[in-house]
Amino acid sequence: MTGSNMTLDQILIEAFALMFLYATPFLFAALGEVFVQRSGVLNLGVEGMMLMGAFSAIYTVSEKGLGQEPLVGLLVAIITGGLLGLAMAVVSVTFKAEQGISGIGFTLFGLGLSSLLFKTLAGGVMTAQGRGFGALSIPVLSDIPIIGDIFFNQNVLVYVAFALVPISVWLLNKTSWGLKIRAVGQNPAAADAMGVNVNRVRYSTVILGGILAGVAGASLSIAVTPIFQENMTAGRGFIAVALVYFGGWSPWRVMAGALLFSIANNLQIWAQILNLRIGGTAIPPNLLIMAPYILTIAVLVFARQRKRLEPAALTKPFERGEN
Amino acid sequence: MKAKLYVLSMTVLLVGLLSLGSLAAAQDEPVRVAVVLPSSTIDLAWSQAMYDALVAVQSELGGESAMEIAVSENTWDVTAAADALRGYAEDGYHIVIAHGTQYGSSLFELAAEFPETTFAWGTASDAGVDRGLTNVHAYDVRAQQGGYINGCMAGLLTETNTIGVVGPVPAGDAILYNNGFLQGVHACNPDAEVLVAYTGSFGDTALAAETAQTQIAAGADVLTGSAQQVPGAIDAIQAAGGYWFSTDVDQAPNWPDTVVASMAYDFTGVIKDIISKRANGELGGTAYELRLENGGISMVYNTDIEGVPEEVFAAGRAAEAEVRSGVVYPIAMLPDEPFRIAVVMPSSITDLAWSQSMYDALIEFQQQLGGQSAVEIAYTEGMFDVTAAAETLRGYAEDGYDLVLAHGTQYGTSLFELAADYPDTAFAWGTATDTGLDQGLTNIFAYEARAEEGGYVAGVMAGLLTESGVVGIVGPVPAGDALLYINGFQQGVAASNPDAEILLAYTGSFGDTALAAETAQTQIAAGADVLTGSAQQVVGAIDAIQAAGGYWFGTQSDQSVNWPGTVVASQVFNWTPVVGRMVENVLSGQLGGEAYELSLSNGGLEIVYGEVDLPQAVLDAANEAIAAVQSGEVVVARELPENEE
Repeated sequence: MTGSNMTLDQILIEAFALMFLYATPFLFAALGEVFVQRSGVLNLGVEGMMLMGAFSAIYTVSEKGLGQEPLVGLLVAIITGGLLGLAMAVVSVTFKAEQGISGIGFTLFGLGLSSLLFKTLAGGVMTAQGRGFGALSIPVLSDIPIIGDIFFNQNVLVYVAFALVPISVWLLNKTSWGLKIRAVGQNPAAADAMGVNVNRVRYSTVILGGILAGVAGASLSIAVTPIFQENMTAGRGFIAVALVYFGGWSPWRVMAGALLFSIANNLQIWAQILNLRIGGTAIPPNLLIMAPYILTIAVLVFARQRKRLEPAALTKPFERGEN
Repeated sequence: MKAKLYVLSMTVLLVGLLSLGSLAAAQDEPVRVAVVLPSSTIDLAWSQAMYDALVAVQSELGGESAMEIAVSENTWDVTAAADALRGYAEDGYHIVIAHGTQYGSSLFELAAEFPETTFAWGTASDAGVDRGLTNVHAYDVRAQQGGYINGCMAGLLTETNTIGVVGPVPAGDAILYNNGFLQGVHACNPDAEVLVAYTGSFGDTALAAETAQTQIAAGADVLTGSAQQVPGAIDAIQAAGGYWFSTDVDQAPNWPDTVVASMAYDFTGVIKDIISKRANGELGGTAYELRLENGGISMVYNTDIEGVPEEVFAAGRAAEAEVRSGVVYPIAMLPDEPFRIAVVMPSSITDLAWSQSMYDALIEFQQQLGGQSAVEIAYTEGMFDVTAAAETLRGYAEDGYDLVLAHGTQYGTSLFELAADYPDTAFAWGTATDTGLDQGLTNIFAYEARAEEGGYVAGVMAGLLTESGVVGIVGPVPAGDALLYINGFQQGVAASNPDAEILLAYTGSFGDTALAAETAQTQIAAGADVLTGSAQQVVGAIDAIQAAGGYWFGTQSDQSVNWPGTVVASQVFNWTPVVGRMVENVLSGQLGGEAYELSLSNGGLEIVYGEVDLPQAVLDAANEAIAAVQSGEVVVARELPENEE
C-alpha cells in the first residue's frame, strides 16, 4: 500500500509513530522552560542553547569530529547547555537584566557561535549517521500490532523525554525543592522571609533549563536526525516557550501541547503529499504549512484560563527589600 | 511607319539578346575574390590561414572556373594596402578581403565609393552598419578559446612550472589568444608561472628566437606564441628539448617532435557564406566570429609526439569540450589591476545549495584569472534579513568594489535604489530577469537558472529508477528556482513513467533540516523510494533516504560529494561563465543591462553524476532527455496549471 492507496488508519499509524519522535525536542526544551518559568524567570535563550547543544553533541559523536559514543555526546550537550544556563542565570538573576532581551541575546549568541564552529571545525557538513542514538525496541511490547510500533519502537531519547514528564511533576509537586521553586515564582518576598534563598533556587532552575535545552538540541542532531545544519532549530526553541504558556505551566499539559503541535505538523505533510483537496481545489501548501501554528493559537484563544496560572513573579528580578 | 516599327522591333530583339547574353554570362562568370595579406601566403600563420581557406573553397566550388583568386601578399604597409584594395575594387572584383585589422581606416571610404563591391575585413567586429554601409562584412576570431585549451595542456605538461609566451603585439587576435592561454594555465595548474613578452613585430623571427631563449634561460620548458615570427621561437624551444603550442594553423607537420597541439583557424565557412550571401543579393552587414562552436576554430592534437603523457591530451580534449559547451568561458581581456568582486548571500557558503553555487563559481573564476592577485573576493553570508543585506550591499558599493552581487531575489527592491545612487558600480542580482533598463538604470545585470531543465532530466531518471512507483519531492517554498526545478521534475517523471505517483510537500523553510527529514520520512512511509528536493534543508532528507536505501536527485550544487552511493545525480548551477561575461562587460565599460540564464544548452547547467551504478537504459534516457531539451524538441514548462493531477 503506498501513497494515495493508503487507508486513513494506515496513514494515522505512520503519523502517530512520527509524532512522538518529532515531539521530543519540543518536550525537552519546554519541560526545562517550565522549571525556569515556575521559578519566575523567562528564558528566551532556549533556541540558542538548543543550537549549541545540537552542535556540541554531533561534533562529539561524528567521525569527522571526536568520534565518541552517543552518551558522551549527550554529556557534552548537557555541560554546554548547563554553562549557557549558568550564564543566563548570572545575567538575569544576579545582574537583574531585562529577561526578554537577555534571552534574545543568548539566542543570537548561540546561533552565531554554533554556525561559526560548524564552519571552522566541520567545514560546513557534518553527519552522525549510524553513530547517534538509535531506536530501542521494548521486548514483547513492541510486538503488539499497531501500538507496538507507535509506542514501543522509538528512539532512546524519546523514552527519556516522555519519562521526564511524570518526573517533572513529581519534582515540582512532591519535593521540597519543587515547593521552593513554586514559592519563589509566586511570591519571592514571602519565600525569602521563610528563609528560602530565592536567587539560588532560580540559579538551579535556569541551569536545569539550559541543560534540558542542550539535550533538546542534542536530540535533534544525534537522535531525531543525524545531522547538523546552521540554524537547524528553525524556531523550535520559541515554540517550546510558547508551549509552556499553552500548557499552563503544567508538565502534563505541556506534553499534550507538544504532541498536538507535532501531530498537526505531520498530518499537514500527509495532506500535502496526498494532494488533499477541498471541494475540488488543491489546498495551497503555504496554508498547510501554517496549519499547526494556527491550530495552536486557536486552542490558546479558547483556553482563557491561562493567565491566572502564570507565576506571579514571572520576569521580575528579586531584590530583597524591594518587592 | 513601317521603318519605325522595324527599328523598334530590332531594338527590342537586340536588348533581349544582350540581356539574355549577359544573364548567361553572369551565370558562367566565376566569383572574383581578391585578398590583401600583411605577410606571406606561406607564413605558417595569419595570412596562410586565409589563403589556404580561399584555395580550399575554390576547389570545393569547382576550381578556377567557379572562383578566381587574386592575392597581394606581404602588403604590410597600410598605404600600399589601401592602393591594392582600391585597385581590386576598380578592377571589378566581386569580393575584396582586407585581411588585417590595420587596413580598417581606408576600408570604409573605399566601401562607400564602390557600393557594388563586397568588402570584408578582420580581425574586426564593425561591419559599418551604423555608418550606413551595406557592403562590408567583418570577421573576428575568438582566439581566447583555443588559447585556454592550449594553456590548460601547457600547464599540465610543464615540469619546471614555467611557461613562456612570445607575443607579437598586444592587439588583435594575439592578445585574445594570450589572455585565453593565461586563463587555461591558471585553471589547470595554479602553481605555474607564465612569462609573457612581446617582440613588437609580426615578422621578426630573430627577435622571437631571442625572446624564446631568454624565457628558456628563465626556466621555461613549454612555450607558445603567435604570428609569423614564431618559427624563430619554435626552433629555440626545439633545440632546448621543450614543447610548443601553436595558433593560426597546424604547425606540427613542420616540427613534429615539438608542437603538441595547434588552434587552427578555418575561414572556409565565412568565405562560403559571404559568397552565397552575395548571390542572394546581400552585399555586406554581417559580423562573423570564428569559434569552436561554428567550426571557425579547430584544435589539432599531435598525438604521435613523443614524451607527452596521454593525460595531457585527455585534459586538452576535456577542456575543449568544456569551452565548446559553454561550461568554461575564457574572457577576452584581463584586468590590469585586481578586479574586486563582492557578494551578499542569504545562506552559508557551505550550504550545498544556492549560496555555495555562487561562492564556488567566484572561487573558480578567481583561479581562472590567476588567483587572489588578479581577483579579490569579499563575501557576506547568512544575510536572510533583507534590510541587513541592503546595508551590506551599500557598504560594498561605498568601498568601491567593481562588481557587487546581490545573490537573492529578495534583495531586488533595495538594489534598484542602490544602483541609482552608485552609477559607477556594476551590480548584479539573481534569480532575476529585470535589469532596470526600462527605469533608466544601466548598471544592473540580472541572472537566473532554467532549473526546470535539469529537473526534467532528473525526473526522467527518477521515473525509471523507482521500484515502488512512488517518488517524493521535499520542497522548501513554492517560489524561485526551487519551484522551477520541482515543476520540471514532475514533467520528467510523467514523461518516463506516467504511472508513477509523485508525493509533493513543502516545508515552508530553506534551512529546517529536521522538518525536511520528517517530510522525507513521511514520504518514505508512504512508499517513496526515490526523493528529490531543493535548498540547504535537503541534507535532512538525503540522510533519511540514505537510511532507507533509496535514491536522491539534487539541484543547485553537487550533493553526491557527501552521499556518493545515494545521490544519483545533481543539477549543478555553473555560474562561472556568467561571472566571466559580467566581468568582461565591466572591463569593456558596460556596467549592466544584460540578463543571463543558466541552461543545459549554454553550459550553465550541468548534470553531475554520483557514484551510483546506473543501468545503461537510465543513462541513455538521461542523455536523450538532455539532447531533447538542448535542441528544443522538448520544452520544459516553467509553470504547471493549478489543478494538474
